Amino acid sequence: MFEQVFFSGLALGSIYGLVALGFTVIFKATDVFNFAQGMFVVCGAYLAVTAISILQLPFALAIVFIVVASALLGVLIHMTLIQPLLGRPMLSVIMLTIALSIALRALIEIMFGPQGRSLTTPLPTGVLMLGSVRISYLHLTAALVSWACMAGFGLFFRFTSVGLLMRASADSHEAAVVSGVNVNTMNRLAWAIGSTLAAVGGLFLGQLQIASTELEGIGLLALPAVVIGGMQSIPGAIVGGLLVGIIEQMAATYISPKSSDIVIYVLLLLILMVRPWGLFGQRELGRV
Amino acid sequence: MNTTTYSTATPKLGAWVWLLCWTSALVYLPTLLTERALFGMALSNTQLLNLGLTQINLMLISMLGALSLNYLTGCAGLISIGHAAFFATGAMAAAVFDTQLGWPFPCVLLACAVAGALVGTLAGLPSLRVRGLYFVLSTLAVHYVVTYVFLEYQFKFFDVVGIPYATPRIGDIEINTPVRWYAFLLPLVILVYLGLKASLQSREGLAMRAMRDHELAATSVGVDVRILRLKAFGLSSAIASVAGALFAYYLSNITSEAFNINFAIQFIAMIIIGGMGSLPGSLVGAAIWLLLPSIIAGLSPQSSEDAGFMGKLLVEHRAQLVQLIFSVMVIVFLIFAPSGVAGLGRSLKNRLDAWRQGL
Amino acid sequence: MSLVLDIQGLSVVYNRKGLALEDISLGVPKGGIVALLGANGAGKTTLIRAVTGLLDLHHGHIVAGQVRLSGVSVTGLPAHTLVRLGMGQVPEGRLVFKHLSVEDNLRVGAAVLPRAQVQDGLDAVYHLFPRLLERRAQAAGWMSGGEQQMLALGRAMIAKPKLLLVDELSLGLAPLIVLEIYKQLRVIGETLGTAMLVVEQNAHLALSFAQSAYVLNQGRVVLSGTAAEVAANPLMKSSYLGQARAAGESQA
Repeated sequence: MFEQVFFSGLALGSIYGLVALGFTVIFKATDVFNFAQGMFVVCGAYLAVTAISILQLPFALAIVFIVVASALLGVLIHMTLIQPLLGRPMLSVIMLTIALSIALRALIEIMFGPQGRSLTTPLPTGVLMLGSVRISYLHLTAALVSWACMAGFGLFFRFTSVGLLMRASADSHEAAVVSGVNVNTMNRLAWAIGSTLAAVGGLFLGQLQIASTELEGIGLLALPAVVIGGMQSIPGAIVGGLLVGIIEQMAATYISPKSSDIVIYVLLLLILMVRPWGLFGQRELGRV
Repeated sequence: MNTTTYSTATPKLGAWVWLLCWTSALVYLPTLLTERALFGMALSNTQLLNLGLTQINLMLISMLGALSLNYLTGCAGLISIGHAAFFATGAMAAAVFDTQLGWPFPCVLLACAVAGALVGTLAGLPSLRVRGLYFVLSTLAVHYVVTYVFLEYQFKFFDVVGIPYATPRIGDIEINTPVRWYAFLLPLVILVYLGLKASLQSREGLAMRAMRDHELAATSVGVDVRILRLKAFGLSSAIASVAGALFAYYLSNITSEAFNINFAIQFIAMIIIGGMGSLPGSLVGAAIWLLLPSIIAGLSPQSSEDAGFMGKLLVEHRAQLVQLIFSVMVIVFLIFAPSGVAGLGRSLKNRLDAWRQGL
Repeated sequence: MSLVLDIQGLSVVYNRKGLALEDISLGVPKGGIVALLGANGAGKTTLIRAVTGLLDLHHGHIVAGQVRLSGVSVTGLPAHTLVRLGMGQVPEGRLVFKHLSVEDNLRVGAAVLPRAQVQDGLDAVYHLFPRLLERRAQAAGWMSGGEQQMLALGRAMIAKPKLLLVDELSLGLAPLIVLEIYKQLRVIGETLGTAMLVVEQNAHLALSFAQSAYVLNQGRVVLSGTAAEVAANPLMKSSYLGQARAAGESQA
């Protein structure tokens, strides 16, 4: 039983890790704490619904559609909303992303109705038995794809020249400008990546559960994940996501289903009081 | 020239006239809304912006929320997105002391204020350890913790339908009609407003604003920033707690769903649109939040059948449309008018003064 | 003689409050080394920012005048475009990428080069600054001030700029290190023919290094000429130390 819970936690945690990674990329690049990341997940789920159920695209094309559309969404949001607020106080930026999430939610509910939509894809369903542990193929696929995306991003970030320029921009905006880097382009790229990673998470969560705006709550678990893992740390985001996934499943199983949220937020409070820079982060207490 | 005497004499007279107009308007308002007529001349629903005394009363309660949040965030510089938690605290305290223990209403309110202050001070404790973004996250966590406690409380002592609240009474008078609620709430809001204004102009209030603007500088002048922060949190939460209790009494039944994160966000939206750090701005923000759904309801046709696209939208997705417009308003204000309506009002006033001086 | 950098009548405002620079005209000839001198607050950094497209970042605006790079008008262009057009910058305070390795720092600067030339560029910089080669895998944030300055210089040079703008090279560095770096700058100037505009507080050092100089005071050019002329000028000393103003006041 324990292994069962652990594995589901790990699978879900991989998806959380992906969403948290997207969040961290945005944060590292533009210093924006994107409260709308949860809605990006929802957008991904609904993009999947649009591509598969409405436009009836073949699955491979649907994936391309989702990736491109979510990337464009990220870029658009940076250009119209984030860039104008450069240098503004933190509450303004936080409130902007919160207002954005509300606007997106309202738009989606107007376009698709407040009820959720079921999402069916050619992804394998069914169950695999490993000893006494049942692992659904969907969970497994979600985990594998999430890890592939995270690894892919890691390789891109570390080894390509564009990745280097992104790291440079995140390190010091002004130094990057002085060195000839088009920092605006890097920021837009960061938002495109952040949005796309969340959308992939939404694709899986939409199928694991249902494509609805309620997924936002799950997407928002990326926030405690990045804090626990360490705010500007990429490995931290991934580990944080995994931990949140595992803890959530454990709490839901061994305490009560409704308690999982609260356990995570209490943990968040504890970390903030005891070790605010998280597991992998660096010691800079808060941003005044 | 007479200009100097002119400009010093009229402000006093002008202020008194202003005050008189407002007082008479506010006193007449309940009559206007209940009889739906202005001095005997009947007014249609649309002309009254679809407002009833019920909405006005809710607006007054939310003004308390906006004022307390603006005091905390705009004046003391402490960003909190967990404000709904203090409303929940008040509602819960009211349930304990009134519904369960049967205390008299005024005592219940006092107890709610104390409970709110306590929870607020606790919620402010992380500010001693972390700052900025981390602190905002701690307020989010506090929100989830408190609302969870409320949920558990509701399920343990009551049931899933919600917690009932008796009609409040002061002495022999029951507050059971909208007019009576109005008569109770309006002076309360004015009192809280004047109290907060006085607090901001006191020595501690000035220190608080110094702390908001430059913490390091404030510390170097000997201001104990940490104690001030906790005090601000305590006061703000006490007011919000009372507002939460009144909210519960007003609706006479509350479930934990009422205090979700959306509830907290509404207040932040109010103070952004109204103007952060501006007490009058809080009132304006709350008023706009009230008016918007009513206006939209007024604009929507009765049925969606022969209406156009907009009409269909207004009828079938009214709630979402309100959310959409409200959030877009916040975004527009954030980008183009960061000081809110209060800021716009100030620059308008400056321009008027400059124009008047040039005459 | 063609000018690599030609500034005509440049005026700059900060936050819409008063002129920080007024009617500046300045030229850097091809292969020339020009010093920009003046006391703190005279406007030297503002001028550099105006030329290198960094004014926006600091809430400034060009309100009049033209900047030409090798005859092409570049007034108000963003910084990253200017780098691609051949303007290298070594900003005040070094501004290295602290968490990236030395080599990665250089590679960022090399991003404007075609891929095939990147390795050659790296080799050239390592040849110029052997110490950077020793430290190539180290995080730049851990290096000494002098090494960081070399890194910033190398990062700017790797793209083979026509014009190098150096802002306050000597700040916070030991005198010996400063001399060593200026020697390297001279080598760069002689072998590669890179033109340079050097902002320097240490007027003595700058005038021994440069061919010509401009002196700024309160946002205006108050003196210009060859390095020797400027060094000999009595007004130079008073502009620099503000003695003219004090003398003037005592007379009033």
